[in-house]
Amino acid sequence: MEVDRADGRNPNQLRPLACSCSILHRAHGSASWSQGDTKVLAAVYGPKAGTKKNENPEKASIEVIWKPRTGQIGKPEKEYEIILKRTLQSICILTINPNTTTSFIIQVVHDDGALLPCAINAACAALVDAGIPMKHLAVAICCCSAESGYCILDPTKLEEQKMKAFAYLVFPNSILSVLPEGSSLVQGEPMEHGIITSVTHGAMSVDDYFHCLERGRAASAKLSDFLRRSLQSKLPGDLSKAG
Amino acid sequence: MDTRLANTWRLTVNEKRFIETALSSGIRIDGRNPFEYRKLSIKFGREDGSSEVQLGQTHIMGFVTGQLVQPYRDRPNEGTLSIFTEFSPMADPSFETGRPSESAVELGRIVDRGLRESRAVDTESLCVLAGKLVWAIRIDLHILDNGGNLVDAANIAALASLLTFRRPECSLGGEDDLEVIVHPPEEREPLPLIIHHLPIAVTFGFFSSESLLVIDPTHHEEAVMVGKMTATLNANGDVCAIQKPGGEGVLQSVIMQCLRLASRMASDITKKIKDAVETYNTERALRKIKRHPTSITLDGSVNLKEKLNEPSGHNVVNELSRKHLEKPRLASAENASSPGNNGEGESKSSNFGRSSRRDGATSNFVGGAASWDPYSRGVDSDFLKASLASRGTLTPKKKQQDPTGERKPNESKPEESPGDVIPTTSAMDVSETGVHKGGEKTLKDAVKPKHKRKKKAFSSTADAS
Repeated sequence: MEVDRADGRNPNQLRPLACSCSILHRAHGSASWSQGDTKVLAAVYGPKAGTKKNENPEKASIEVIWKPRTGQIGKPEKEYEIILKRTLQSICILTINPNTTTSFIIQVVHDDGALLPCAINAACAALVDAGIPMKHLAVAICCCSAESGYCILDPTKLEEQKMKAFAYLVFPNSILSVLPEGSSLVQGEPMEHGIITSVTHGAMSVDDYFHCLERGRAASAKLSDFLRRSLQSKLPGDLSKAG
Repeated sequence: MDTRLANTWRLTVNEKRFIETALSSGIRIDGRNPFEYRKLSIKFGREDGSSEVQLGQTHIMGFVTGQLVQPYRDRPNEGTLSIFTEFSPMADPSFETGRPSESAVELGRIVDRGLRESRAVDTESLCVLAGKLVWAIRIDLHILDNGGNLVDAANIAALASLLTFRRPECSLGGEDDLEVIVHPPEEREPLPLIIHHLPIAVTFGFFSSESLLVIDPTHHEEAVMVGKMTATLNANGDVCAIQKPGGEGVLQSVIMQCLRLASRMASDITKKIKDAVETYNTERALRKIKRHPTSITLDGSVNLKEKLNEPSGHNVVNELSRKHLEKPRLASAENASSPGNNGEGESKSSNFGRSSRRDGATSNFVGGAASWDPYSRGVDSDFLKASLASRGTLTPKKKQQDPTGERKPNESKPEESPGDVIPTTSAMDVSETGVHKGGEKTLKDAVKPKHKRKKKAFSSTADAS
């Protein structure tokens, strides 16, 4: 079905991506990720001593601080913090440094749709920049589905508002490995077919949701490629960063 | 408590001694002179009123937003200005969320005093309906990276974003003229704030030896210094504010020396800010060259007229005020359906590239008719791309007619407009950047086959004329 998107993209096309790492000097890892006009800056401070009161001291804990562009911090920001924290907890190896806190600070520079996926991607890139050990990376994407059942990827803010429902999906990134295929399978399916996080807004039918999942998974391969390319070109990090 | 102690960064005794010894021989650890500022870079974001300032390693972002509110009772005719400073934990591991620390409050107060008390921002012009509705301008400063001297950088960020902020135009309407109508940016061009002067903050650091004094301390130097002073001056030599919060006592002569230095620095920095804002404004004006949402042929003539008027460059702002069209967006266009939009988008972007290439282009186009044809082709490919993007292959015929339609206004223009050289160069400018833009657009593939067809069509018309 032909879909008329305001900026002329086709339904499966993502906005231009841009990623730059090591932009801040004090933070241990930092990255800025932009998808079209949506731009997010993420900074990581590596393991600090101690955990908060209700955290498990036998594992490393993660703390996320979400800074909106203007205004007070309210419920939506708290929700983003929680989602981001759970997503990052599943990709970081938490048993390495018990009783420590790794802090993530996310600063929204400009919001033009798909803000949470952009933030997750930025946080992953910042993690790599900081050199914190992870099981695998995560790539996030936003899929919307409209009334007529078609699904579009990476909406702008206007498109997000017009759509019936949208879902933020986070997948593990695709693995480039020299080992044979079988080793990265989990219960018979390749690992990158798993979903780490899925947040939906609005009501969509089950079929629509699965449709979005497929599209999202296909696009996540492109995102993984881009992430790998932009991170590979970085020189080994600046060692004098530890403040 | 233990964890906080474990996590704070402290300068070692060796480092302290090293910095002080180096300073006593006039050497700073980053190689600057004691009275030299770090490299200042001012960038602007997509929206009006957002700025990003980098002063050496210090990185600060400023955002300005406006809202209509009720005025204070004792000032019914004035708008309000409020500054919110966020010491983001991103900037320094010792910054925490929640209650702002002392230094955050101090920074906010210094910037606020510089802007408000010196009446740099004209608050009376922010009044919409006396006693009922005024504009409340809110400045959010986000400290992203603490490389030292946050006050100066934050001040520059606040000024830069205030200078580029645009508020929507309001008019009074309804019965009794009591209803306030806020015009969205698509309807009426938003207005800039009235700023009388730019108060620039200059920070000095004093060290334990008597006359050791540096400007723009880095955060290592801040950990070593025993006193500091921030002087806020403007380029006219007025002292707007001075802040010396305790610390080591200094001689009067040193204070006077500081003020003299500060006034020199202030004029430098004012110039840099104004230059950066100028470039942003020209870019913004070019971005706003509006498109006619009607038919293609009309587009052709309107585009050319716009492009012809462009080179007068100085009149860009007048053009904007005269043409009440919609604001195009480079990345995500809001105006959906009209097919002319894509063409407009392209012509706008070709204008965008054009101003920067105008100077180069004029020298190239002294040639005669022989160089005319290949470039004029470029303009058509723009429209072709546009129609292809929006309508598929339905319009090749129409496109063929277009060049003829275009040529005519093109040819008639030189006679109409004052001065022959300017119109021809501008038309060529457009064409050249049309080709240039063709390379950047994603529909590059679509361009090539059409290119050849257009050449034939064009050469036939050229021969005919």
